[in-house]
Amino acid sequence: MPEIFNADRMRDKISKVNEMLKMSPHSHWASFAAFPKQLRFEMQHDDEEVVVLGRAHFIVNLGWIAVLCFAIFVPMFWGEFPFLKTLNTATILQLTILWYMALAFYGIQSFLLWFYNVYIVTTERLVDVDFLGLLSKTINITQLSKIEDVNYSQRGLLQSIFNYGDVIVQTASEQRTPDRVAEISAFTFASISNPDKVASVISQLIEDEEENDHHH
Amino acid sequence: MDILPGITLDLSFIVGIMVKISMFLLLALSLVMVRQESLMHKVVNFSIGGSLKILVWAYSGLCLLLTVIVILA
Repeated sequence: MPEIFNADRMRDKISKVNEMLKMSPHSHWASFAAFPKQLRFEMQHDDEEVVVLGRAHFIVNLGWIAVLCFAIFVPMFWGEFPFLKTLNTATILQLTILWYMALAFYGIQSFLLWFYNVYIVTTERLVDVDFLGLLSKTINITQLSKIEDVNYSQRGLLQSIFNYGDVIVQTASEQRTPDRVAEISAFTFASISNPDKVASVISQLIEDEEENDHHH
Repeated sequence: MDILPGITLDLSFIVGIMVKISMFLLLALSLVMVRQESLMHKVVNFSIGGSLKILVWAYSGLCLLLTVIVILA
């Protein structure tokens, strides 16, 4: 019987949050996806459901995309550089190949870092996955019951226009991780889309968790 | 300037050597990226992850091919 009771409570919990997230996209490509399908993460429990998958808003990629768009045309003007004028054709060709391969590397790397730096809100926990460069990763996980405060902030014109900002989740443990020194909390969801919705969903899940605890 | 019989040290030669070394380093970095993508896919398993894996492998393969061409040229 207790299992049936728990299942009912879980369904209630999901339905409340579901109401908040209706009309939200489900695609893995979205910066904010509600109940994304076929998504699993490391250390996910069998009965744990992913409620929100978030990542930085696509607009944060504009910087490296602009650099790539500019850099693609640079080899066309190599004849203008006095130093390069003295090189023979074969060397210029090799240099051009190197240039484009390096650009492709930069583009793929920047895309992967954007795509895989995700924030996951589940029915039980928050997971903050941070990949920094090629060789380091930091994964922060906290139980919903350990969350003390959830705040969000939006600053500046771009964040207001495109509706993204930082969601800062403070936990009881006040932990500091070396991933982002400037972050206020280990659970700072930086430049995430719909920060208001994310904060509301987390708050709702915490409330449900507390209610659940009282019933036990 | 002849450093060895038949090899003339000029700007093109020096830049060519530097390009070859850079291509080799880029190839090493691309292999690191393949490994990193694999780890990323293990941590967060997206359905699109397989396609991304193919993309980075393709990049790495192309990098290997071009590195060989540039070094042998």
